[in-house]
Amino acid sequence: MRSMSKATKPVIVIVLAVAVAAGAAVFLSRQPDQPSETTAAPLRADIKGGGHFRGPENAQLTLVEFGDYQCPSCGAYHPFVKEILNRYPKQLRLEFHHFPLISIHPNSMAASKAAEAAGEQGHYWEMHDALFEYQTQWADKPDPKPIFFAIANRIGINGTLLLQRMEGQDIQQRIVRDVEEGNKANVQAVPTFFINGQEVHIKLSMEDFVQVIEANLHK
Amino acid sequence: MKIRPIVIAVLAFIGMVDALYLSIKRNAGPIPCHVTKGCTDVLTSKYSEVVGIPLSWFGLAFYVTVFSFAIFKVFDDPLHPSGFPLKAIFYLSGAGLIISALLVGIQAFILKAFCEYCLLSAALVLSIFLLSPHPVRTHPE
Repeated sequence: MRSMSKATKPVIVIVLAVAVAAGAAVFLSRQPDQPSETTAAPLRADIKGGGHFRGPENAQLTLVEFGDYQCPSCGAYHPFVKEILNRYPKQLRLEFHHFPLISIHPNSMAASKAAEAAGEQGHYWEMHDALFEYQTQWADKPDPKPIFFAIANRIGINGTLLLQRMEGQDIQQRIVRDVEEGNKANVQAVPTFFINGQEVHIKLSMEDFVQVIEANLHK
Repeated sequence: MKIRPIVIAVLAFIGMVDALYLSIKRNAGPIPCHVTKGCTDVLTSKYSEVVGIPLSWFGLAFYVTVFSFAIFKVFDDPLHPSGFPLKAIFYLSGAGLIISALLVGIQAFILKAFCEYCLLSAALVLSIFLLSPHPVRTHPE
């Protein structure tokens, strides 16, 4: 009996500590994701176009994505974004903005340039999809251009012209404008999504995408 | 004085909160960093789970175990002290340190992105290891 009572105290302390830790973790996870000096409310952004659109112009909802082609989580979200556009072909459109985090993704700017250069040949979205699809092939390469060239050939555009146009200052300016737009909207991570100007947090699951879109369609 | 197991318990408690927080946040969308850059990259990378189980759950199991041993040491009978809890913490945190070093290496050299919550965990494991006395040199208190 005595040894049982000796063990009881530490067990109670352990159980209580685990419960307090769980409470603290839940509390912290419900805090706004932004650093404390910024607003606690979800971001609002008055994004004035400039991005690339996919879906009908008169769609009820515009899903704005600030993304980085080299970011693995953007790659992980990409199939869900495509699928949600397929599920809501009339109600939803995507507006993609470049937000290359060049300090941690050294090839992200080149990838954005490749997408823009492919856009000039009328194949922006094909390149957009392929960059995510083949992300692991080029992300860690010291020089990703040969892979971009191969992707260009695969999607049926001129690879040589693509590489030439990637050097264009005008293309870089377009990307920088997107980044400035993201900075104005206080984008801190990629991908960051907005629906009709309001930031939305979407989990990495189709169910959550559907839930968020449905909730916004019925607002 | 039982300062050492108390400090280890406090560190393990912080680790529990950290691991639980990451487990909750992992699938709740992008995780912005406040100090480092690339939290979401690290936490959604293929290295963030083992056989489908997020590493944060392993971390949680580690911290709960270390915390439990430390608390048992705190409540140890002063007349018949047991060396077992601190010995167990030493070996556990030694193994944890090797795994943490590996994970920090993956962040630095493969992912080239750092997750502050993971770095905090590595620092906690290192501190716990340094605080747990080497069993060979441990004498009954």
